Amino acid sequence: MKALILAAGGGTNMAPFSVTRPKPMVHVAGRPVLYRALSTLRESGFSEVYLVTGQNGKAVTDYFGSGQSMNLSITYLQQKKTSGIGDAILTAKSRFVPGEHFLLVYSDVLTDENMAANIQQVFGLTGQPVASICLTKESAAFGNVYLDTAMNITKIVEKPGRKDLGNYVLAGMYILPYSFFGILEKNGGDMAKSLTTLIKAEGLKATIWEKGWLDIACPWDILAANKMIMDSWHSANVHESVKMRDAKIKGPVHIEEDVEIRSGAVIQGPAFIGRGSYIGNNVLIRQYSSLGAESVVGFGVELKNCVLFGRSTVGRLSFIGDSVIGEGVSIGSGTMTINRHMDESTVKVRINRRLVDSNMGKLGAFIGDGAALGSGHTIAPGSVVEAGRTVPHNLTFPKNGR
Amino acid sequence: MCGISGIISSNTITKKLLNSIQNLEYRGYDSCGMAIINSHGPVIRKNIGHVADVAEKELFLSMDGYVGIAHTRWATHGGVTPANAHPHANCDGSIAVVHNGIISNYLDLKQTLIKKRHHFISETDSEVIPHLIEEYRKGGMPLESAFSAALKELEGSFAVAMVAYEEPGRIFCAKHESPLIIGLGNNENYLGSDFNAFIEYTKDAVVMDDGEYAIISNEGYAIKRIGDGSPVLKKVMQIEWDAEMSKKGGFPHYMLKEIYEQPETVNKALAISQEAIISLARGLVDSRRAFLTGVGTTFYAAQIGQYYLASEAGLSIPAISSDEFLESTPAGEGDFVLAVSQSGETYDTLRVLREAKNRKAKTAAIVNVIGSTMARLVDTTVMQGSGPEICVISTKAALAQMVILIRTAIEAGIITGKLTPADRKAKLKQLETLPGLISDFLNEHSAFVHNLAKRQAHHHNWLYLGRGKYYPIALEAALKVKEVAYLHTEGMPAGFLKHGTIALIDEKLKCLVFVPTEKEHELYKMTMSSIEEIKARGGSVVAIHSSRAFAKSPLLDDQLLLPSAPPLVMPLVALVASQLLSYFFATTLGRNVDKPRALAKSVTVA
Repeated sequence: MKALILAAGGGTNMAPFSVTRPKPMVHVAGRPVLYRALSTLRESGFSEVYLVTGQNGKAVTDYFGSGQSMNLSITYLQQKKTSGIGDAILTAKSRFVPGEHFLLVYSDVLTDENMAANIQQVFGLTGQPVASICLTKESAAFGNVYLDTAMNITKIVEKPGRKDLGNYVLAGMYILPYSFFGILEKNGGDMAKSLTTLIKAEGLKATIWEKGWLDIACPWDILAANKMIMDSWHSANVHESVKMRDAKIKGPVHIEEDVEIRSGAVIQGPAFIGRGSYIGNNVLIRQYSSLGAESVVGFGVELKNCVLFGRSTVGRLSFIGDSVIGEGVSIGSGTMTINRHMDESTVKVRINRRLVDSNMGKLGAFIGDGAALGSGHTIAPGSVVEAGRTVPHNLTFPKNGR
Repeated sequence: MCGISGIISSNTITKKLLNSIQNLEYRGYDSCGMAIINSHGPVIRKNIGHVADVAEKELFLSMDGYVGIAHTRWATHGGVTPANAHPHANCDGSIAVVHNGIISNYLDLKQTLIKKRHHFISETDSEVIPHLIEEYRKGGMPLESAFSAALKELEGSFAVAMVAYEEPGRIFCAKHESPLIIGLGNNENYLGSDFNAFIEYTKDAVVMDDGEYAIISNEGYAIKRIGDGSPVLKKVMQIEWDAEMSKKGGFPHYMLKEIYEQPETVNKALAISQEAIISLARGLVDSRRAFLTGVGTTFYAAQIGQYYLASEAGLSIPAISSDEFLESTPAGEGDFVLAVSQSGETYDTLRVLREAKNRKAKTAAIVNVIGSTMARLVDTTVMQGSGPEICVISTKAALAQMVILIRTAIEAGIITGKLTPADRKAKLKQLETLPGLISDFLNEHSAFVHNLAKRQAHHHNWLYLGRGKYYPIALEAALKVKEVAYLHTEGMPAGFLKHGTIALIDEKLKCLVFVPTEKEHELYKMTMSSIEEIKARGGSVVAIHSSRAFAKSPLLDDQLLLPSAPPLVMPLVALVASQLLSYFFATTLGRNVDKPRALAKSVTVA
């Protein structure tokens, strides 16, 4: 069976990261979300993959290329304008033939185990179209399904406005027949309407996913996703090339090749340190920290529950907590992210000029790709630094630096 | 409390045999084993653990043969060890036996056999059977006679199957007080503790009765009496259960599947003939004294019956837990005992019914499993027709039993004159809304129940409280939490709280209160005062209720708001909500939902 992956979603709520990369290219536990989707597909026997990309699609093609390194054959399909899921699916129509079924994957969904293997089993059992469904706290934001006793979906209520409706929701993975392309065309690319048509025409089975599941929509979801993946780690994995002396490692810590860790450093797992990174003397890396490849962390830095996409530098004596740092970011020495309000109110984040409540008591900063932060800054909870922005040093004497 | 199965065929059977004990695993699953006949005699492989694990470890599928027996065990005599797993063999390994039941005189038999130089490997009662047969064979008796002679020496209960080197084309089996059924296929025959052993292969079955043994080949079978070897003719019955029904479909667990099947099982319960229901009602009304009984969940179902018989028929009919029945309630001539049992094999309840029969009381039962011991023991049986319940935790069967008891209460109300035919019609109409209410609840509220479970599953101490009909609901809901989520949960009448237990209340003890509908004015008010009592002592209240006004009350620490429903059926809607809550407690805490620790589906021992 071929797989069709939708990776064109711009993720407008993913500021500051959406400016430079599509949503599935944000990193979680050392890898882009899309990488995890692709590797679970490979594990469950898929080799032919069609990837729909949109804005910033180059970030995807640059990272995965032909897919050879992952043992996959990837064909890229470019969605001209980001005009919805139905249109994204339709870009693949000519690649499939009548009579075949295909796996449809929303790449901004992250699971801690292999959901593709699960849906394949049910398809194998029934031969009918299948949708994965799951329960989530935010059921009102998704398509709620009605089920009969035989696990047939009888009705879908898309993003119900009613407060008294909260059920299993569509989990972003389907096995669909070729005829679904025709159904989409008839319904003008409307996914919800098309699924309803499919239910009437051929039926749609459900399979319940009870393991970890997250839809990545807002920047702080990166931290939750990072935690979900790291919670599934049960052993440490340190590459033999790692240079380390007088450093302490505790718990499930994954360290890749050519990492150098200087004396006095303490790493508390679960944590991830990507290939070629440098961890300076007396650095404290606390739980749920993920440092992408070629990260440089200076003397005495403390990191806690944070994701660094990679190739970033954190200057000496800084504290980065409950924060997400994009790729190629430079953070000056003595930078403090503040991660809670003194009145214990939840942290709000400015997204697209709107203040959105994260409902989280502790949240630090979101620093976009390529930003450069001078030394000595104290960053307020929930702050966003746009991609590529340069923020000068915060000097106290002389005030203007001269 | 074990599952046994056997297959004899003109083709290789290993895979089917493995499948058959997997389908019986809910009867017990601490260890398992298989004996397959090949040219050297029976090859036995067994070990401790779930069937799938043992099958992998012991390479079950690498065995090859046309004849075999298998066993999945639930330890009663002897610990859970590889040696104690079945099948058991005689000294030279030419005979292999699987056994479900308890041989009460096994110690005497074992002593005698040891004196005769028999060598025992296990601590089980079952191992005496192959040695006993071997002893008779030594005396020159043919195998069949040796088999039946050995059976005559056994006291207690048994369902036994045997294969032997000298007769590789036959399986011998026998039954006394433990269930055994023969399945008839095409050039292939089966035996099993119940239909699930072979339902995927055939729908034709013969139910064996106590004191019978059978010889099965791939071409046919013969059933004889253990006592005199005289042949017995039996009716072949058709099993109507669909094999697919015994499988999970897309559901992650049988428990969830069975919760979702409840609209259907309630409909089945509503479709039971009025005559059958009236016969139960007549028994309750017309007898000198009447009693309801069951144990565990079925006792709580019986208690629901007690409350509805009071409200609908003005009758005072106590529900008594069957394990305590005989010690507390001398039922005798002129009395009527109505038992409730999913499996129809529950030891405690069977004991009550046998004793009641001995004392000339009339007996009746609401049972799910066709051909079960109880179904055949009592004077009147109502089959609930809920289909196989695979999850060890009872959900759909229990709900159907409650619906049948409510229908019985309504018919009793007509007999006693408390209800008019018009009342009856109105009440039945309300009852008929239940399947739709359950289905809507499951399809529109699952996420809310899930969220509640996620918020509350880390609390380890619970009081489940209810008044009136919500009291047995609280008891049954609490039992579900204990069984599947292993959280300490005590069910209690809400009014009972202030007579002692209230001393326990603090912010750490969670109180889940089943609140009646506002229409039940008095009961609602009294439940509210119980909630006030808890809050006044700094307690924490979670309510399952249906009042939109109460939903905004500052008394609530957490809640689940139910859709509105008539007072007659609301307790059952609340029960379904609590089943789902228990399920999500269990999944949130990572419990083994379908096979909770230390539990087996039918408790067939004392």
